[in-house]
Amino acid sequence: MKILAIDTATSASSIALGDEDQLAAMSIKVDRRGHGGFLVPAIDFAFRSAGWKPGDIEVVAVDIGPGLFTGIRAGISTAQAIAAAVGAPIVTVSSLTALAVRAATGRRRIWPVVDIRRGQYATRPFRPVPGGVAPDGPAEIVSADGLHNLIDSDAEDTLLVGDTEGLPSSTFRGLHRVKKGRPRYPSADVLLEIAAMHARNDNFVMPEEVRPLYMREPDAQINWSDFRNEGVWPGAEG
Amino acid sequence: MSRPLILGIETSCDETGVAVVSGNEILATVLSSQVDEHSRFGGVVPEVAARAHVEAIRPMVHMALRQAGVHSDQLDAVAATRGPGLVGALMVGYSFAKAMAWTLDTPFVGVDHMEGHLFAPRLEHTEFEPPAIVLLASGGHSQIVHVRNWGEYEILGATIDDAAGEAFDKIARFMGLGFPGGPAIDKAADGGDPDIVRFPRALRDQPYNFSFSGLKTSVITYLEKAKASNSVPPLPDVAAAVQEAIVDVLVAKTFNATTATGVNRVAGGGGVLANRRLRSKLQAEADKRGVALHLPSPALCTDNGAMIAAAGEFRLERGETTPWGLDVSSSLRLGS
Ligand SMILES: [Zn+2]
Repeated sequence: MKILAIDTATSASSIALGDEDQLAAMSIKVDRRGHGGFLVPAIDFAFRSAGWKPGDIEVVAVDIGPGLFTGIRAGISTAQAIAAAVGAPIVTVSSLTALAVRAATGRRRIWPVVDIRRGQYATRPFRPVPGGVAPDGPAEIVSADGLHNLIDSDAEDTLLVGDTEGLPSSTFRGLHRVKKGRPRYPSADVLLEIAAMHARNDNFVMPEEVRPLYMREPDAQINWSDFRNEGVWPGAEG
Repeated sequence: MSRPLILGIETSCDETGVAVVSGNEILATVLSSQVDEHSRFGGVVPEVAARAHVEAIRPMVHMALRQAGVHSDQLDAVAATRGPGLVGALMVGYSFAKAMAWTLDTPFVGVDHMEGHLFAPRLEHTEFEPPAIVLLASGGHSQIVHVRNWGEYEILGATIDDAAGEAFDKIARFMGLGFPGGPAIDKAADGGDPDIVRFPRALRDQPYNFSFSGLKTSVITYLEKAKASNSVPPLPDVAAAVQEAIVDVLVAKTFNATTATGVNRVAGGGGVLANRRLRSKLQAEADKRGVALHLPSPALCTDNGAMIAAAGEFRLERGETTPWGLDVSSSLRLGS
């Protein structure tokens, strides 16, 4: 089954082509702003080097977040357009799952972390299971202190992966059973593996059903402090 | 020879607009407006807009193609707004269009939103040709453009503070008329007497530039005084007076440009050009001066996919397709 995977949910953008057992081509770029300029050129180049045509695609996999909102939307729009044009279904993957799947080695409980800006981090515990990982608690948005408390309250040995570089050192203070590991970012080759698994279970969505996983309400502020929506004429609001 | 079949996608602000156009023929045009989502904030919230676009884009494209009776592989090109606009909003339509064009192996054209507005009048008025003076006024932009030739534009003047549509929005909000302010004031002004109070017309010493922030202040001061003295005039009169102040300035500066350039053709674009008072005053002035006026119907004044397809066709015919690596540009500026 030929799969195109797209991941632009974090500062690292990547795309990958492949099937159940083989990566045919891949491209990665780390740039937190360049998602829009990266995607189609990278896809085009990968298709040429793999000798694929767009019509070959049977499944499109896309990272729906949490992460950088604009990047997530660039990835989803791209995935939707390609999938719709070739009539392929989509497999959606969370960035947290993508991180945990790649990190899964051994027995530690995995806490993937995605920096969603403004001092907020998305995380969710996963436990390793034969053939992959399974979520072991709810996904949450926390501050650096909140992350510290979450992991501190975990009685098991844990593996912290993802974008932890920007976290203040106090986040890790006094945490004894915690090891920091890789990967730093989710990437499209992991999406391929996950998509192949989902595809076997017919776990698809149609392009129009794909929704970003923001995990945060939009910032909705308009700086009109000099305006009061009081209305001079009662009942005039149409 | 038949003109190319083009899909146009517009997502620079708060409308997800998609159209299928061939020459002057609009085979389909659909719009997913976000007015309801933004009305409680009284203005367009960028992140709210981007979120709505990503939910609407695929259904809108699907609907436009179906209405046009066109299969995507019949398209000769896909055009999308590249800028100016809100980055997060632009990114959705632009990414979708680019990926669609790549998949279909068809040319992709990134379009300047303002050039889209310049081409909109031509969809209904085939005789509309440069040279022309075009008034572009909306919630995000207010400019007077001298179209010397297609592709050759000079911005004669622009707003130095609020855009005209923004002035309508802010004043309407203060008056308690809701969002968007332009249509709300247009409606409220029905039957009103604009002469009840004369609000200031700013920047009379500058031929083409606009300023609307003083008007806003003056309306607030006026209404607060009226309220304090218990002499608030009827709403239609105040709405008409506000509208008159904005419209007068837009009309005067537009025709300053025709006088100075000797160009005898005027057109308009942007949501504010849907205002009925503005349309009738532009028409009256054009008639008085013997100037041809080409105003798109209101649905083509506000942001839409058809105008992007029309401008896209022009760029396509000139061989100016957009490379895959070119990203959106929120600060794209006409003629530069
Ligand atoms: Zn516009």
